[in-house]
Amino acid sequence: MALTKTGSQRMVKGIGNGVLALMLLWTAIPFYWMFATSLKHDKEIYGYEATLIPERPTIANYITILQDSPYLLFLRNSTVVAVCSTILSIIIASLGAYAIARLNFPGRALLARLLVCTYLVPGSLLFIPLFALMSALHLLDSLSGLTIVYLGADVPFATWLLMGYFRSVPVELEEAALVDGCNRITALIRVVLPVAMPAIVVVTFFAFTRAWNEFLYAYVFTSTNQAKTITTGLVNFMSADVFYWGPLMASTILSALPPVIMFLLLQRWVVKGLTLGAVKG
Amino acid sequence: MASSATSSIALAPESKTLRARLGKISRFLLRDRQLGYLFLAPALLVILGLVAYPFVGAVFLTFQQKTAGAPGTWIGLANYRELLNNEVFSLTVYNSIFYTVVAVALKFVFGLGMALVLNQERLFNNFYRSFLLIPWAIPTVISALNWRWIYDDASGLINNVLVRFELIDETISWLSDPSLAMFSVIAVVVWQGTPFFTMGFLAGLQSISKELYEAAEIDGASVLQQFRHITLPCLSPIIITVVMLSTILTAAGIQFVLILTNGGPADRTMIFPMLSYAYALGGAQRLGMGATVSLFFFPAFVILIYFLTRRMLQEKGW
Amino acid sequence: MLTRRDVLKQAGGAALATTAPWWLVRRAHAARREKLIVWWPVALAPQVDKLVKEQTYAYAKQAGLKENELEYVEVGTGQWLPKMVAALEAGNPPDLTRYTQAQAALYRAQGHLIEVTDIVEKMKQVPGGLFDASLNAVMYQGKAYSIPHAIGPSPLVARMDILEAAKVDPPKTWDELIEVSKKLQKPPKLTGFGMCLGLHTDTDGNVMNVIWAYGGKLVEADNKTVALHSPGTVQAVKLIADMYHKHKIIPKGAISWDNQGNNKAYQSRQVIFVVNASSIYAHLAESDKELYEVTGMFPSPAGPGGPSDRIGTGEWMLFRHNPYPEVAKGLVEYYMNPENLRVVVEEGGGRWGPPYRGMYDTPFWQQPGFKHWRVMLEQGREFAFPGRMAAAAGETLATGVLARMMHHVLVDNWEGEKAVEEAHKKVVEIYARYPEG
Repeated sequence: MALTKTGSQRMVKGIGNGVLALMLLWTAIPFYWMFATSLKHDKEIYGYEATLIPERPTIANYITILQDSPYLLFLRNSTVVAVCSTILSIIIASLGAYAIARLNFPGRALLARLLVCTYLVPGSLLFIPLFALMSALHLLDSLSGLTIVYLGADVPFATWLLMGYFRSVPVELEEAALVDGCNRITALIRVVLPVAMPAIVVVTFFAFTRAWNEFLYAYVFTSTNQAKTITTGLVNFMSADVFYWGPLMASTILSALPPVIMFLLLQRWVVKGLTLGAVKG
Repeated sequence: MASSATSSIALAPESKTLRARLGKISRFLLRDRQLGYLFLAPALLVILGLVAYPFVGAVFLTFQQKTAGAPGTWIGLANYRELLNNEVFSLTVYNSIFYTVVAVALKFVFGLGMALVLNQERLFNNFYRSFLLIPWAIPTVISALNWRWIYDDASGLINNVLVRFELIDETISWLSDPSLAMFSVIAVVVWQGTPFFTMGFLAGLQSISKELYEAAEIDGASVLQQFRHITLPCLSPIIITVVMLSTILTAAGIQFVLILTNGGPADRTMIFPMLSYAYALGGAQRLGMGATVSLFFFPAFVILIYFLTRRMLQEKGW
Repeated sequence: MLTRRDVLKQAGGAALATTAPWWLVRRAHAARREKLIVWWPVALAPQVDKLVKEQTYAYAKQAGLKENELEYVEVGTGQWLPKMVAALEAGNPPDLTRYTQAQAALYRAQGHLIEVTDIVEKMKQVPGGLFDASLNAVMYQGKAYSIPHAIGPSPLVARMDILEAAKVDPPKTWDELIEVSKKLQKPPKLTGFGMCLGLHTDTDGNVMNVIWAYGGKLVEADNKTVALHSPGTVQAVKLIADMYHKHKIIPKGAISWDNQGNNKAYQSRQVIFVVNASSIYAHLAESDKELYEVTGMFPSPAGPGGPSDRIGTGEWMLFRHNPYPEVAKGLVEYYMNPENLRVVVEEGGGRWGPPYRGMYDTPFWQQPGFKHWRVMLEQGREFAFPGRMAAAAGETLATGVLARMMHHVLVDNWEGEKAVEEAHKKVVEIYARYPEG
């Protein structure tokens, strides 16, 4: 090799930085367009030229949303539903995955196979029968109803994913913990879960963002502002053939922040968990 | 600690300790059955109630002629026959496969690339990781609307910029040109969906212990060889999971096509969830037909998943 | 040492925690059903939505309903349909809602609506009576199953400043439109005619305008015999294709426009003419006064087959599952009281107009922009003319048969005749499924 070890390392680093720059640009441009639109007046938005920098930037659109619409209420609702469905789905999935991966009981293999099939079912197929079910249970137009519905989408996937990770934990580690006085649940939390950290991260991320951005179920299942989420609030800016682009984009920018901030904060905790699992594994 | 437990079970110097340990083990096993069902109960409840039951309902729906709010009439396989005779059926199948395969492949390549890059050490990595997440954090509907506008012939960002820098003479019809429309839609799908792959792969990459790489370097393995023999195998469970999930979500996703092209031009971007939506909610609200279209593509996925997971399950020792 | 009980207790606690929401919530939601539920699809302007909400609560108070016995829901227009379908399936549709005629006709045919002939009779007593189109929209075999709420034309919206500068009159026929467009357009920035050509209902509407102008129609007056395939229709299709490919007076991107594509094109000053409901005009009033001042609305261009004005109507529907039918009926009468209606309509800036003929003599409707409204409403027709705008026509419109027909010609390069034949076949299939038409 003509390049020295440090030379090839630098090359890899250089390629990496180049790719990163491209990716940042690719992500940023459409996002910037949304952001710029949110700062424009209606007239400029409808202008012929696509102005790259708002001519007379205004925060009027943001004020419209925060003042004239129950945005903060929607924000609260979205947060509650997203957090609850994520936490619940991890708990339920962990217990279920542990049962299938570790505990011996009849019907185990069959259940594992069936589990895989259940997350194949497309949500758009189920929304009508689920609506009827929720209506019969009087769970419509409520945050708890929406949370439960989202569980139906998250739990099969989460269980299946965690199941795979749990099985890769050596049995001896657990046996030792059990002998030392842990019960099954403590063993699950202290020994098995850390190894499955990557899976937990994926599930958390997936469930949270999915609940945050979900559209169809959110607006079909809710009616009053007490239960509406951010995404349902957006449709009020799209009235038949007239779109209020300014407030629409402003609302989007605001709603995109929480998942990103959450991820920013979670990262340090996540990396710690991941490396812990790696050392153990 | 681990070794002492196993050795004490195996050797058991005194029968009293052995019986005590055996007793404890049998009590574990006995608990297993009850515990197993108990632990599984919530998950089963969710799956049976929220997935299996509506799904079975949907299957029955495909054999009926039904409109909203009225009981359905049994018509056997007539819906399926109607679907197969629909003039856009074969085009829909082709489009759906093309759309899903290309979109997922691109997301995979870009996602893996981004994850590898983000796994490298550099300043502000946390910020980059969070920033690249933005497309996934934006509601799909809005992304689609935003891109629709970006693609617009007259006032779209792309055409405006290209014309202003005199790179093209005439505007490009990203969404109206039959040969471009599908790719334009796929580009948006990839923009939105890549962060999910990135995140999953990144989490997987960070759990691979550094010692493996160090050992390989000492042995003289090149970067590419390390990638092939360490990175890929360690990532394979995450890869399979993410790819499978993304395949299903992409194939069944309607928002992008609905907003960007509504299936056009001339059904060039008609995919099966659009067809299902058109039947179920367009016009007569024929729920039986809508369910039939969705269900029709379901076996294909089951077979695909079965083959993929069989390998994975075998590896884990089923 | 650990006992079995300990483990079971811990596991039981976990199970309880995960299923608690279910049975706690059930108790809280027991009393939900006995409410009056009103769904209002959001209108153009937030002021209108606010007004309607105020009127609703004012009436509720008057009728002795407590605040928690009324549920007033604002629904996005694109979300009305999935929500409605799900609600019907679950057996709890809203008690009162408003939507297009095709939906009302569909639900009537499926037996979901209450008969409301008495209310419509009272409305006919208002001086001037109701427009024929409004009345035809709700009557079926002598009885009324929905209540006319609004009526609006699809005029030719035109840039008066450009026309006046060139000293040209607004075109009265399609041929004139083509000539004027070719003369005055300045591609690529300014194109003549912003005709919607995407796979959306605006396209079907626009295409029908041209079809009528050349003597074609969707279905005969018996509402069963499909009449799409005719020389008139073929001529219309060829004219549109020429407008796009030969004369190039339609923007290239129109093929992928959605229903707000032509709105946006006009508002960004990219086109001289569009044929669209007056939503554009109404929106300009609040967002772009300059453009508003120079915008005129004229009857849609005519042709050898006659005028081609299209109108759309909105209807109130009351569902059978209503626990308070008398209250709901009272509410509708309250909304349709001419004074209450006037306030809402004027706040909307002309997005739609009242169905009462007599209400157009007010100062609001004397504004120059509305000069041709009465004419357009009198000679305007619904999409299925001379047939009824019922379930079959509704499905034809919703599934974009005409839009797809145009795509075959414009994108797949089919012969006009072939495309019309194929569309005709599809419409026949649709009509065959609805015995009532």
